[in-house]
Amino acid sequence: MPEVTFAVALWALRLLFLALVYGLLLQSIGSLQRALGRAPAVAERGLAYLVVAQAPPDAHRRGERFPLRAVNAIGRDPGNDVVLRDDFSSARHAVVSQDAEGWWVEDIGSTNGTFLNGDRVIHRTVLHFGDEIEAGRVRLRFEHA
Amino acid sequence: MRLAVPTSRPLSRLTETRLLFWVAAITVTGFFTVALALGQGLDGNAFIVPTAFLVIAFVVHAALAMRGLRGDQIMLPVSLGLTGIGLIVIYRVTAGTDAASLLTLQLAWFVVAMAAFLLPLFVPRDLSLLSRYKYTWMTFGLLLLVATVVRGEEINGARIWFRLGPLSFTPWELVKIVLVVFLAAYLDEYREVIASRRGIWRVLPPPPYLVPIVAMAFAAMFILAFEKDIGATLVFFGIFLAMLYLGTGRATYVVAGVAILIPAAYVVYRLYAHVQLRVEMWQNPWQDALGSGYQILHGLFSLGNGGLLGAGLGAGDPQSIPVVWSDFVFAAFAEETGFIGALALLAMYLVLLYRGFSIAIAAPTTFLQLLAAGLTFVIGMQTLVIVAGNAKLIPLTGITLPFVAYGGSSLVTNFLSIGLLLRISAESRT
Repeated sequence: MPEVTFAVALWALRLLFLALVYGLLLQSIGSLQRALGRAPAVAERGLAYLVVAQAPPDAHRRGERFPLRAVNAIGRDPGNDVVLRDDFSSARHAVVSQDAEGWWVEDIGSTNGTFLNGDRVIHRTVLHFGDEIEAGRVRLRFEHA
Repeated sequence: MRLAVPTSRPLSRLTETRLLFWVAAITVTGFFTVALALGQGLDGNAFIVPTAFLVIAFVVHAALAMRGLRGDQIMLPVSLGLTGIGLIVIYRVTAGTDAASLLTLQLAWFVVAMAAFLLPLFVPRDLSLLSRYKYTWMTFGLLLLVATVVRGEEINGARIWFRLGPLSFTPWELVKIVLVVFLAAYLDEYREVIASRRGIWRVLPPPPYLVPIVAMAFAAMFILAFEKDIGATLVFFGIFLAMLYLGTGRATYVVAGVAILIPAAYVVYRLYAHVQLRVEMWQNPWQDALGSGYQILHGLFSLGNGGLLGAGLGAGDPQSIPVVWSDFVFAAFAEETGFIGALALLAMYLVLLYRGFSIAIAAPTTFLQLLAAGLTFVIGMQTLVIVAGNAKLIPLTGITLPFVAYGGSSLVTNFLSIGLLLRISAESRT
């Protein structure tokens, strides 16, 4: 009888060992998955950001971040750098760009207009960090990298 | 003084702590089970080795937390888990035999490995140190290889061992890292020229930029041919092609590389008797089943004996494979834990590779991206080559299974890689 108990205990230990190996594996995959949500991929790092401040609920999540390059086309067309999922914005709506003097916003013939802090953008206008750009029903806050 | 490694508040590596407790549970359970199954006492090695291993592991983890190091928290526990499994397998196959001292030797190497791991994390210098002195590192690497040719010792047909007092190590292991560093730095500097087609016949890049890489590749191959180590040459060539492809994005290099490799492999096959023997034993191990085919056949018996669920820790017969602790750890582990255990082991490597490549993608500079990808590639390629060798998918080579197999230099350099990867990931978070 003690031999049987010993054999059963040994097999229980062996199965426990396997279970623990899988435990470590699953735990590390879990952590991997969570880390993925936090870590910014390299493509997401920009010179500055446009952060969604307000948008129709089905279009954009509040706080969604668009990384900016030196020149960025904004609009509904998927070829834009910042793609707006909102029917009130034009296919090619506005351009945000950087040059030696700083950042600029420009309306490129949108139907419903581009607004900077509530004022309609007519000429190429200088941008400051914290400014809010409105295109269609989407309001984007211009933020430092 | 500004520290080069970004810091956050201390004691914030809780994921790592949690995963390390799993490592502790695996190691303790494994040693306990093997000791019971083999009828060995729980004193001696079965108690001292896992305890020392875990104490060191937690001390290193605490050092990282106190340093306030940010960045990856998964690679260290997973690689330590593999090391723990390795210690269990080594204990399993050497307990009660005259090779029992290998276990304590491996533990001693583990201490050195942890020092190598901490080195890139605690040296405050910027990692650009590696890219700035690339030719110095490469010269150092080539000198190491030359020294092995001149002073090295030949074991099992390969002249890769270098003896310093009681310790023997394989310089080749370290040269792999040096090679990755050099290629990453060189490609970072000249990647656009090398990727261009403005040189020879409007297909290849201008010769002056190709010469250093090609010369270096040939020099190392030439020396490795003297050392008669096909596995190392294979890994070396793999690193070379992978880095060229990563740096330039041109598949032509890979195709050309393989086109060169095939005739070169044939020449090596004709020249060296021990290479011919390896290939013959791969094609038909039965023709000399009690001689040179013995090892590979018993490796296959072990894999077969394992089946789906395994023979059970301590219940198989892996010690029938000659030098099982360095060449056939995978077969030994697969025999006693079965397909299920082998799958988990391979999945752990997959976690390491996945994490390594994510670190590469998120790295802040091209050099660090290439470096991280190259270091990860080395671990992946070695795993592939030795596991495939164990399964008789390709001819067996003397590559070690990273972290698990017995072998000091391999353990040290693999943990150095993990340390570098952790350092890169700590620098990449914005």
